[in-house]
Amino acid sequence: MQYETVIGIEIHCELKTKTKMFSSAPVTFGQPANSCTNEIDLGHPGVLPCLNKKAVELAIRACTATHCTIDPLVKFDRKNYYYSDLPKGFQITQQFHPIGRNGYVDITVDGEKKQIRLNRIHMEEDTAKQFHGYQGTSIDFNRAGTPLIEIVSEPDMRNGKEAAAYVEALRTSLLYMNVSDVKMEEGSMRCDVNVSIRPAGSDTFGTKTEIKNLNSISNVQKAIDAEVARQTEVLENGGTIVQATYRFDEATRSTVMMRKKEGTVDYKFFPEPNIPPVQLDEKWIASIQENLPELPSQRYERYTTVYGLSDYDANVLINNKEVSDFYDEVMKHTKEGKLVANWTISELMAILNRENTPLSDCKIKPEHLAAMVEMIAKKEISGKQAKELFPDVVKGEDPKKLADARGMKQVSDVSAILAIVNQVLDEQPQSIIDYKNGKDRAIGFLVGQIMKKSKGQANPQLANQLVLQEIAKR
Amino acid sequence: MKINDYKTNGKTPLQNATEASLYAKELQPKLNAMVTFTDLEPQVENLKNISKDALMYGVPIVLKDNVTTKGILTTASSKILGNYVPVYNAHIADKLRDAGAIVIGKSSMDELGMGGTNLSAATGPVYNPYDLSRISGGSSGGSAVLVAAGAVPFAIGTDTGDSVRKPASYNGIVGVKPTYGRISRYGIIPYASSLDHVGYFTRNMYDAALALEVLAGRDDRDMTSSFLPVEKYTEYSHDVTGKKIAVLKNVTDIIPSMELKEQMNHLEEELRKKGAVVEEVSMREDLLRAALAVYFIIANCEATANHSNLDGIRFGVQEGKDSYEDIMTKSRTAGFSGLIRKRFVIGSYGLFEENQERLLRKAQKVRRLIVDEMNELYKTYDAIVAPASLKGAPKATDAEDKLSNEYLIAESYMCLGNFSGYPSMTVPFAMVDGLPVGLNMTCRAFEEQTMFTIGQAIEEISGWCDKTVEVK
Repeated sequence: MQYETVIGIEIHCELKTKTKMFSSAPVTFGQPANSCTNEIDLGHPGVLPCLNKKAVELAIRACTATHCTIDPLVKFDRKNYYYSDLPKGFQITQQFHPIGRNGYVDITVDGEKKQIRLNRIHMEEDTAKQFHGYQGTSIDFNRAGTPLIEIVSEPDMRNGKEAAAYVEALRTSLLYMNVSDVKMEEGSMRCDVNVSIRPAGSDTFGTKTEIKNLNSISNVQKAIDAEVARQTEVLENGGTIVQATYRFDEATRSTVMMRKKEGTVDYKFFPEPNIPPVQLDEKWIASIQENLPELPSQRYERYTTVYGLSDYDANVLINNKEVSDFYDEVMKHTKEGKLVANWTISELMAILNRENTPLSDCKIKPEHLAAMVEMIAKKEISGKQAKELFPDVVKGEDPKKLADARGMKQVSDVSAILAIVNQVLDEQPQSIIDYKNGKDRAIGFLVGQIMKKSKGQANPQLANQLVLQEIAKR
Repeated sequence: MKINDYKTNGKTPLQNATEASLYAKELQPKLNAMVTFTDLEPQVENLKNISKDALMYGVPIVLKDNVTTKGILTTASSKILGNYVPVYNAHIADKLRDAGAIVIGKSSMDELGMGGTNLSAATGPVYNPYDLSRISGGSSGGSAVLVAAGAVPFAIGTDTGDSVRKPASYNGIVGVKPTYGRISRYGIIPYASSLDHVGYFTRNMYDAALALEVLAGRDDRDMTSSFLPVEKYTEYSHDVTGKKIAVLKNVTDIIPSMELKEQMNHLEEELRKKGAVVEEVSMREDLLRAALAVYFIIANCEATANHSNLDGIRFGVQEGKDSYEDIMTKSRTAGFSGLIRKRFVIGSYGLFEENQERLLRKAQKVRRLIVDEMNELYKTYDAIVAPASLKGAPKATDAEDKLSNEYLIAESYMCLGNFSGYPSMTVPFAMVDGLPVGLNMTCRAFEEQTMFTIGQAIEEISGWCDKTVEVK
């Protein structure tokens, strides 16, 4: 039988704030366990929550980037359950009044555009992190209280590719909005995928399973493919799908059941009495929306139209925000968009890849790359010379000083080059004969000789041009 | 002694604090009011950093044991917090320290504030200084009796239903619950967040106003804390001319004794003589009869969530070890009394998805209706008054946290001050069978000054000013 896959995704994103959702403790990653907590994060008796304004601002950015309708009356609720990673015995979340509703994200899969609808975006606080070992469970409360948004899609995706494209589109948007670090491997972006299948053409949903703890976008796709295959096999063999939570095992490329879902848990949601409803100022919301960082789609538009970059170059840059931001910095000092893009993509990224270092650890200064590109454009140095300089420019050196120190100068003075050209032609009569007998290669040889004589400083194009001009006279 | 007398009685702060502490210790076998006595020397030492003009410079005071104090045991009179030493100070603990107050100890209360008798404290009942066979009232019982007995001129309490104002009535002292948001709740171990108020006891009206100047003010750690500026409450007017006072007939109609009735009539007459307009008013009986049920549902629903943090994992007394479920279950079973567990079950029931609309949400709607009904009266009147209790404190053997239908309204109407968040206080004015009875008064939001003005008139009429009782 033919089946149709139905996928909905819930994404938890840690917001990039300095302090926690409801306390003044710092938000960090990789600090010693329990070093970044206070009495509020630990749920001590008598503490009260205080809403982080920056978190609300970032949530508004996320809502705007995903075309959600924003509820200007911010309210929170308590979600009650007992677990050792939940210090207060309840989580403060937005059950009844999410900050954003009815948004969408555009994706492109195999050249086809599709809109994935969002049900809601709401704010909440993260739980503590637990480590289960042989000697028991340790709890690190550093993560407790970290601001989160949860983004809930409608069940609009039909295969793993679309799901991966959706997560990638959201990830890039949130990164460009400076809303979150969106590092799936560090858990600052976490995906829970709901998957079900149904006979093609059916309009009722099949029983869904949930896949948790996916640590990369490619695993989102692989896990869905594996789960769809598993569900298909179960149904083909006359079985039924059981509602359960699965994880993806990378080694076997299969989904493994973690626990069955038995009935629904009653979280006894009720309005949080310690946070009065906060009416957001419409002007404040508007100012956030007007000052949004540039979206990837807007950046693509700018790269291709203003700088004239190719589709390929624009995408390579945009897919690496750090490099793309660097490119924009360079472009503040020069107008040579294409040339800068070439040097950034083929030279700089190659060196970074080879040395496996992130751009943030590289000492190259945007104004130096700009200056070097300008020198090439003005024919002050040749491309070849620039390549010689570049490893040192990457180390933070000024290309102008480097070129001066090494006596690099491209001679573009016609009379100076003309003298060398005639000197070489005098010395190489055989090459003239060869050329006249149709051997074009001879020109290359002659230019090479000119470059040698000029210690590489002659402008090669000019040399080439003058050789042709002079040889015709002989 | 009034608060200011401690600054001028010729003794050093250490002498005054030591005397207060010794007297409280002497009373301990009779009243059983204290949970913890604190070290005085470091606090007195800290006075070096505080101006002698500070409002409570060197004045000995008591905190209810649900006020968190950094490094000092804070149990909320519950076994589960029997070993809990907070890592931070409540906002008001800092405020009082900065005002120069010396905390001589932490006082007993009903377990987690959930009661009206002070019979449920982990350290046992607190007794009434007027008659040791009677209850102090609760939940702020320990604080109330220490002020009444004269050990300290001021003590902190908290008030969720009437937990300051009822014991104030039983002990012949002033009990104040200012407007919700006037005093920060940060660091107060909660009972029910939307009803909880910080309150306090004094023995006269001037001290009540002075204390509010110390305690009031915006705290950024409490989102329900008000931004309104702190007034010079001590400059309240002593003139009640033209003040309109509504006597709540629903309560005064059922006063059972001539003794109290006569004193109530006398008070009304004298207030009129001073120029106040005193009129009898009635509120919708059905709403007042519903008040207790509304209170019970909202308070228990919020309480069951508020106390979910008491699980034995991060602090408090830990029982069990096999798993987190084992620790939570055993710690909570051993740590809470049966009465508390019962309230949690009721609260949890009210929160279940299938019950919430019919219980919690409905209670919140009725709460709104009751406040609307109050607001109607406040269009005309500056204050609504009625006796805070119809009799003196009951015998410890008779007292139960269960109410007779007969006195349902009289015994529960003070929670209207918590529903609305409006300022409310009890002022002593009568003696019934040798026991004090107070008058409760509730005013408009943030009109504490008006409340003190009317309270001052009552104090002048009754002569109850800075009266202490000798404990026999």
